[in-house]
Amino acid sequence: MILERSGSIMKSYFDIEGDGGSDVIAQVEAQQEAVREALSGVRNLVAVGSGKGGVGKSTVTMGLAQALKGRGASVAILDADFNGPCQAHLAGLDAHPWIPSPQGLAVPRRQDGIGVVSMGSLVPASQPVSFSTVSHGDEHVWRSTKEFAVLGQLLSSMAWGSLDFLLFDLPPGAERTVQYADFLPSGVSFVLVTVPSDISRSVVARSVSALAGTSAQMLGYVENMAGYFCRDCGEIKPLFPSSGTKLDLPLLGRVPFDPELASLCDSGWPERRDEAHKAVEAIHVVAENLLQALEAQE
Amino acid sequence: MKFLCVSCDEPMKLEKTESPQQGTLSAMFECPECFTQIAMLTNPSETQMVQSLGVKIGPGGADSAAKCPFSGALPQMEGAAPSEEGPRWTREALSRLENIPDFVRPMAKQGIEHYAESQGCPIINEAVLEEARGKFGM
Ligand SMILES: Nc1ncnc2c1ncn2[C@@H]1O[C@H](COP(=O)(O)OP(=O)(O)O)[C@@H](O)[C@H]1O
Ligand SMILES: [Mg+2]
Ligand SMILES: [Zn+2]
Repeated sequence: MILERSGSIMKSYFDIEGDGGSDVIAQVEAQQEAVREALSGVRNLVAVGSGKGGVGKSTVTMGLAQALKGRGASVAILDADFNGPCQAHLAGLDAHPWIPSPQGLAVPRRQDGIGVVSMGSLVPASQPVSFSTVSHGDEHVWRSTKEFAVLGQLLSSMAWGSLDFLLFDLPPGAERTVQYADFLPSGVSFVLVTVPSDISRSVVARSVSALAGTSAQMLGYVENMAGYFCRDCGEIKPLFPSSGTKLDLPLLGRVPFDPELASLCDSGWPERRDEAHKAVEAIHVVAENLLQALEAQE
Repeated sequence: MKFLCVSCDEPMKLEKTESPQQGTLSAMFECPECFTQIAMLTNPSETQMVQSLGVKIGPGGADSAAKCPFSGALPQMEGAAPSEEGPRWTREALSRLENIPDFVRPMAKQGIEHYAESQGCPIINEAVLEEARGKFGM
C-alpha cells in the first residue's frame, strides 16, 4: 500500500538506502539454525546457574565435568560468564590458543580431554573482557545484547562434534538465568547452585519460579559450601545459619566447603580425580544424581 | 527499522538512546532537514526481545548516528592490534580465520602467531594449524 502525503507519494521502506534490517526474522532463524546445527551432535546440554554470584557455579561446573569424564563421558564446558571468564584458569588453559579447523573452531582441550571454551584463554585474567561501547547508549542496556550475540556466535562457530555433555557455566543474575533459558536450544536442563544462606536460597528460589515459565527443564539444585569439613574432629560443621527458604526442586547433593578446593581453584583444578578432597567426592555424588535425573527425564 | 520524516520525506537519524527505567529504551531520532525529533519507546519486554535476538539491524560502519539503536547487537571486542611483524600466513591458513567470530579473531590470530613463533615456524600454513589443532583442540 502506498501512503499519500499532500499529493506526492511518501518514500517507502525500500526507497531509503541501506539495509535497515527488514530481514530480522530471517537472521534470527538463520542464527538459531546455525546454533542448533553446531550442537546437533551434543547429547545433553546442562546449564549450571544460580542467580547468585560467588556460590560456586564455576567450581561445580568444573567438578561435574571431571566427574562425568571419570564415568567415561565426553564433556566440554562453555564459560558463558563473559565478565568473569574463570573457567580457562580453573582448567589451566590461561594462555591456550584457539585453532580454526576447516569446519569451525576446534574446542580447546585440557590434557584430560575435557573441552573448555572460555574467553579467559585469550584475554589475560588481569584484563577484563571488554566490549567496545556503543555510542550514546547506557552500557547496561547493551550488555545483554552483546552477551547473547557473542554466545550465539561462539556456539555456532565451535566444532563441538559429538559430545555426551556440554556444560554451560552461567553468569550471575536471576533475570539473566532466564534469558539463557530462552536463548539456549530447547532441551537444555538446568542445575542451580546455592549456598545454605537465606539470601542465596531466596535468589535461587526466584530463579526457579522464573525458569518454571520457560521450556527449560530443571534437574535439581546443589547446595555448595554446605558446612565445612573439620580436619581436627573429622566432622562436617555448619558455615551458615540454616535457612527456612524452601526450594521446590530435588536436591542433587551437598558439597562441603573445602579450603583445599578453594586453593585448587586458584591454582587450576588438578587433572586427575582426587578422592582425598571431600568436596570433590561430594561433586561425584551430584554427578551420579544428575545422570539419574537425566535418565528419568527420558 | 527506519524512521521517515513525513513532511520532509527524509530518513531520520538516530540522535541518542537512553534507558530511563529498568529495561525500557528510549531512542531519539531527528530529521536532518527540519530537525523534528521523535522518540521510539520500548517497554522492558520489547527491549529484552530485541536484545536477545543478537541480530544486525541497519548498516554497520563507523557512522553510529546512522545506525539503528539495536545495532548494539554488533559485538566488537577491543583486542590486539593487527600484528605487523611475526610469522606470515598463507592464504589458505588465513581463510580459516574466517571460522573465528570477529570479536575474538585478532586475539586468536595473535595466539596462533605466538605459538608458531615458539615452534620456530616463520610461515603459518594449514599444516601448522592442523598440528596445533591436534595439540590444543578436541
Ligand atoms: N566447596 C567449596 N569449597 C571451597 N571453596 C569453594 C567451594 N566452592 C567454591 N569455592 C570457592 O569460592 C569462590 C567462588 O566460587 P566460583 O565457583 O567462582 O563461584 P561462582 O561461579 O558462582 O561465582 C572461588 O574462589 C572458589 O574456589
Ligand atoms: Mg563463575
Ligand atoms: Zn523533517
